[in-house]
Amino acid sequence: MADNTCGSAVDVRGLTRTFGTRKALDDVSFQLEAGSFLSIFGPNGAGKTTLVKVLTTLMTPSKGKASVCGLDVVEDAVKLRERIGLISHNPLLYPDLSAEENLMFFAEMYCISKPTERVRELLTAVELDHRRMDLVRTFSRGMLQRLSIARSLLHRPDVLFLDEPYSGLDPHAVEIFDSLMKQIRQDHTFIMISHDLAKGLELCSHALILSRGKIVLSLPKEQIDENEFAATFRATVGTGVA
Amino acid sequence: MSAPNQATAISQRSLSWRQFKAILRKDIVMELRTKEMITTMSIYSLLTMVIYQVALSQAGTGFDPRNIAAGLLWLAFVFTSMLGLNRSLVHEKDQGCLEALLLSPIDRPVIFFAKMVGNLIFLLIVQVLTIPVFGFLFLQQGSYAGELWMIPLVLLGGSLGIAGVGTLLATMSVNTKGKDFVLAVLFVPLMYPLLMACVSATTVAVLGGVDSEQQFWSAMGMIAIYDVVMIAAAYALYEFVIGA
Repeated sequence: MADNTCGSAVDVRGLTRTFGTRKALDDVSFQLEAGSFLSIFGPNGAGKTTLVKVLTTLMTPSKGKASVCGLDVVEDAVKLRERIGLISHNPLLYPDLSAEENLMFFAEMYCISKPTERVRELLTAVELDHRRMDLVRTFSRGMLQRLSIARSLLHRPDVLFLDEPYSGLDPHAVEIFDSLMKQIRQDHTFIMISHDLAKGLELCSHALILSRGKIVLSLPKEQIDENEFAATFRATVGTGVA
Repeated sequence: MSAPNQATAISQRSLSWRQFKAILRKDIVMELRTKEMITTMSIYSLLTMVIYQVALSQAGTGFDPRNIAAGLLWLAFVFTSMLGLNRSLVHEKDQGCLEALLLSPIDRPVIFFAKMVGNLIFLLIVQVLTIPVFGFLFLQQGSYAGELWMIPLVLLGGSLGIAGVGTLLATMSVNTKGKDFVLAVLFVPLMYPLLMACVSATTVAVLGGVDSEQQFWSAMGMIAIYDVVMIAAAYALYEFVIGA
């Protein structure tokens, strides 16, 4: 797995992203050390997904600076993409390709050396080796999410972005997903968007609440009182209005 | 260029080539498995030919359908290609795979060229299936007077332009609400010069006549200029379009 060679894993300064006149992100700043786990909470439309899109180079910021692993999200976008992975609630897999074909395709996209060995290794790790030849459209939600983890780890990224990864998973699938997350926890920096307060706080080393594109609370885990945090969360964003 | 820079450039080219092949192979494998694009486009194209035949069946004995056959053929190809072009990007968008593709360290124009070549291959397959039906329905009256070798050339030139511009416009329209409408509104006006040149070259290929070769090469020159200019423009714009 990846070694964490990127000191300050994420550095965001004055990040603003506008859509027309609406500010989806408004002067957002935070830093995250390598090996940390940041959980981001907030209602729909708070700017969580926009933040992840900017940090994963899928969207350019309107103002401000952001770097991941010391690489600027705009200027070093291509290099940065080699260092990050994304696990979304959407598996980002082709349903008409088999599990192995999907991973082989993305292995080619990342120009991985010895792709066949790497793909087999990951399919075994996510316990899908026996289904490697099956079309992805025949997979259950849990299996899709496991394959999605394999896809995101193919190129040994340093930073993993998780966009509501537990969405739609049944309890058994959550257990398997958790166990996989534990296995890779030590080797990566994580940024997770979650609506599940308990799960997000359980996993994180740092938590952040976004509302209307602004950070309203940002605390390291040791300073978080779960009841107080939940109350703050409800008070600031609990109305569901971003 | 210094030696390390040259090595980096060569290495980047080989990586891009590997990514290009992977996207093209993936699109072909998926199409062979689902046959969605080729089946839909072929049936649509063949039905259009039959409808043209029915529409012209009452035109009377003095009417020679060969005079308008080339126009009908290219109309069918333009409408057929719109059907397929939309699907080529919708596949990526619907499953969120476009996001995964954009997350990989790939130069955006590589995606454009791979998608364009894929669309070109599917379009040419549909044309190969359509041409015999076209010949059977419209070129029976009188003998075929043109030069047969001209047909593949004009098909290739025209299809290249359709695939190039179409891939760019399909990428633009895939993020919009009424993507079918947006593609049609942008595609047809942009296709106009190409369509004129293709119809002209195909008419010469079908009817022959004095100076037919000169007229053919003149039309082919227009097609070549259109292809080069539009594909270069699409290449330059693709990074902006796909990231928008």
